[in-house]
Amino acid sequence: MDWGKIVRQGLIGGVALSFIVAVGLFEAFANRMVIDPILTSGWVLVLWVPVVFGYRATRQVVPDGATVRAARPADIAAGAVTGAIAGAVLGLLVVITSAKPDVRDTLLALSPSLVQRLSFGHSVGYGFGVLTLGGAILGAIGGGIDLVPQVVRRVVSTVVVTILGFAFGELVVGDILRSLGLRSVDQFFYAQSRGLKPLGAVILAVVFVALRFLLKGKFKAIRERIPLGTGETEENRATRRNWFLVLGIIALAAGAWAPNLFGLYLNEVLSNVGLFILLGLGLNIVVGFAGLLDLGYVAFFAVGAYTMAIFTSPASPAFDAPPQWAFFQALPLVLIAAALAGLFIGTPVIRMRGDYLAIVTLGFGEIIRIAFLSDWLKPLFGGAQGVLQAGFFPGEQRGGIIVQWGLVLATIGIITLIVGLLRLNATRLITAGKMSDIRAYSQPVTIGLLVAGAALTIFGLVSPGFAVWKIYGIEPPSMFRITLVFVALAAFVSWRLRDSRVGRAWMAIREDEQIAQQMGINIVTTKLLAFVMGAMLASLGGALFAVKLGSIYPHSFEIMQSIIILVVVIVGGMGSIKGVMIGALVLIGVLGGPTQPGLLREFGEYKLLVYGVLLIWMMLKRPEGLWPEARRAKELHQEEMLQDAWLNVEPASEGVSG
Amino acid sequence: MRARLLGEVLPRAEGNEAILTVEDLHLSFQAVKAIQGLDFTLRKGEIFAVIGPNGAGKTSVFNCISGFYKPDTGSIRFDGQELVGMKPHRIANLGVARTFQNIELFPQMTVLDNLMLGRHRHLRYGSPAAMLRVGKAIREEVRNREVVEAIVEFLELEPYRKAFVAMLPYGIQKKVELGRALATEPKILLLDEPAAGMNLEETEDMARFITDIRRELGIGIILVDHDMRMVMDLADRVLALDFGKPIATGTPEQIQNHPDVIRAYLGQDQSASIPGGTE
Repeated sequence: MDWGKIVRQGLIGGVALSFIVAVGLFEAFANRMVIDPILTSGWVLVLWVPVVFGYRATRQVVPDGATVRAARPADIAAGAVTGAIAGAVLGLLVVITSAKPDVRDTLLALSPSLVQRLSFGHSVGYGFGVLTLGGAILGAIGGGIDLVPQVVRRVVSTVVVTILGFAFGELVVGDILRSLGLRSVDQFFYAQSRGLKPLGAVILAVVFVALRFLLKGKFKAIRERIPLGTGETEENRATRRNWFLVLGIIALAAGAWAPNLFGLYLNEVLSNVGLFILLGLGLNIVVGFAGLLDLGYVAFFAVGAYTMAIFTSPASPAFDAPPQWAFFQALPLVLIAAALAGLFIGTPVIRMRGDYLAIVTLGFGEIIRIAFLSDWLKPLFGGAQGVLQAGFFPGEQRGGIIVQWGLVLATIGIITLIVGLLRLNATRLITAGKMSDIRAYSQPVTIGLLVAGAALTIFGLVSPGFAVWKIYGIEPPSMFRITLVFVALAAFVSWRLRDSRVGRAWMAIREDEQIAQQMGINIVTTKLLAFVMGAMLASLGGALFAVKLGSIYPHSFEIMQSIIILVVVIVGGMGSIKGVMIGALVLIGVLGGPTQPGLLREFGEYKLLVYGVLLIWMMLKRPEGLWPEARRAKELHQEEMLQDAWLNVEPASEGVSG
Repeated sequence: MRARLLGEVLPRAEGNEAILTVEDLHLSFQAVKAIQGLDFTLRKGEIFAVIGPNGAGKTSVFNCISGFYKPDTGSIRFDGQELVGMKPHRIANLGVARTFQNIELFPQMTVLDNLMLGRHRHLRYGSPAAMLRVGKAIREEVRNREVVEAIVEFLELEPYRKAFVAMLPYGIQKKVELGRALATEPKILLLDEPAAGMNLEETEDMARFITDIRRELGIGIILVDHDMRMVMDLADRVLALDFGKPIATGTPEQIQNHPDVIRAYLGQDQSASIPGGTE
């Protein structure tokens, strides 16, 4: 046994345990039940530590080419010792806390109730013993993990994931069951404290273990039956594009319907997620595509929110007679203001790169916030009092967005008409032999587009008030739907830009500015375009934020907002559109935004701590993000890929790279 | 798509008048004089080689032409326009393309994307068109993609079209870089050690591509390389540099036997001849 490693891992584990307890995370989660009344989530936050460190103490680091030694019973003992050390360190903390109550002066969380809880209602000596013993048992489990057959490991992991998933997702499950009228099912599985009942937990675990083994390989079989095709032929790409389109439409429809299932709280969480996806997609253009590290991104969010507020609020400080425009009237102005702000911030920093750019944009972000806060601009933006009643409907004490379906249809009609006309022109050019017919346009579709476009335009313009929706900002479900539309728009724009001349130029600049210039790329305009595009998407988020809250204050645009948006992009996967969505869903949805609560409300003030831990872990283990772009994943694992490429006698071909 | 000759998709330069004129070029980095008084002319359809020992200033000449360095004095006239003081991207847009001594591709992009970036100056559609992906956007993408495919075919890069450049062997990367320079539709091509680090077979391939480019496109090519056999075989005229000073210009035969050139390469021993020359 490698005693040095065991002691080291045990001590690190002990410090980790003590940290979790001493900062108060254990207490914060003490009242959230996982299995009522056996297990609280506070214990879950603690229990994993001895297991992981027990495993780490016995894990073998296998150099390339060396053989792995078989797991042996001694590993269990080693794990147990590691876990015992970790548990003992925590026990020691408990003993010290009870002996010297004045440690509370510095560490507020080390309260008598914590001592009580960790000594299990007995003396601290008893607590020390139980913690050490518990640590030893858990450590032994961790150390012996490789000795257990794989089937058992699968069962255990499924049980753990199922129970934790249902316990922490109680809000989602509960809301869905309630909206389906299955309140009794909910009550069967969940106790009053919203933890799982023991019986419910057992049933869920059994069902999911059974499902896992029954459905093994079934998904793959289903996926294989979908004719996606392998390889990069024109036909395969078309099929894949069509499937992607179908899936996208299904996802959108599901997203639009989802608010019906959820209660107010979850809808609020969802609309926050949508808002952060919007902001993340914008920042993704700047940081992910063009590689410009912008730490003052919240400035554009602020510009969008303030512009919207000033032009829609009846209490607008900027005007003697406030224009009180509707949301969609003010929106073009918001976009213009954001584009100008993008140019304003982008122009002076265009020559900077990397760290310098980050620092300067950080400064600009603060400048903009302080400008909004200043007395100097108070006549325009209301200073610290901000702008109240943003988006309020005339004569009402609430505000929001008015959707005039007639005009929406007319807009859609005009765009369809333009697309149809352009396709008609292209078809004409193809027949005239002036253009290659690689992308042949189907005539019926073109005619269909023209007819539909004309019909929608005429109908919309004739009856602009055919259906008018009043969406109140304080109604989370409707706000979520509106946000979803904006997100879809932003994702579409990002995707199309990425795969175009503009996107290629951005990526070229990200990789090498000098060589990009050699390709004839004007780096000044290309970078400015990235700033402007990012700013415009952020301002859409800001506009929604303004009418959602109804009042805009400078302190909503603190630097932490910029950081969180950046973390969303990094965790999701820089440059990856779907990654940003996943990142926002995980971070904002589960943990919550800088000021918005997420699914796990208990994280509250510990949110930033968790963000930090997550970021460090991601950088170490998965720097490409949760759902990266293929390109980016390859970049960060280039060494491995290169070795693979060299090991193949034949150089990398399409199949390998695909 | 049917196979095409390069000359069918890229414009052919006619005539053999001068396209690039360098006059009295001086470049220094503080005390180091990198180029001291360089004059030369490049004609259309000509392969002009620049040789010299390491540090002679060969790459600096390229950097001056492509706008990375600003010379102290002197003029570089290309197609009637003064290049000195012009931004690198403007120079590239005039039709000056180059490759680099150490490969400077975009390693995390595919071969096709790299070549399409070479076509950047021929793609003019804006972001609204890119978002709707109609009209000009598609037309230009398709047309330029055809050019790129023709270049892929010409350079025998078909198996690597969708491969990420970082994963390709060195020799292939060199070809991709040449392809990217070709994709810009150059009027002159600056090749900085195209055969460096390649084996004999790859060097011969590269030499074949260079002569084919000259024959099919009729553009002027400036070649810098240490492979004297290739330089002497390909070049119409050779300029020898030493410590930033031009020491001789002439046909390959003249240069091989020029006493100053031999001295620059081999020190004072005048009995030897330069490597790769006629023994």
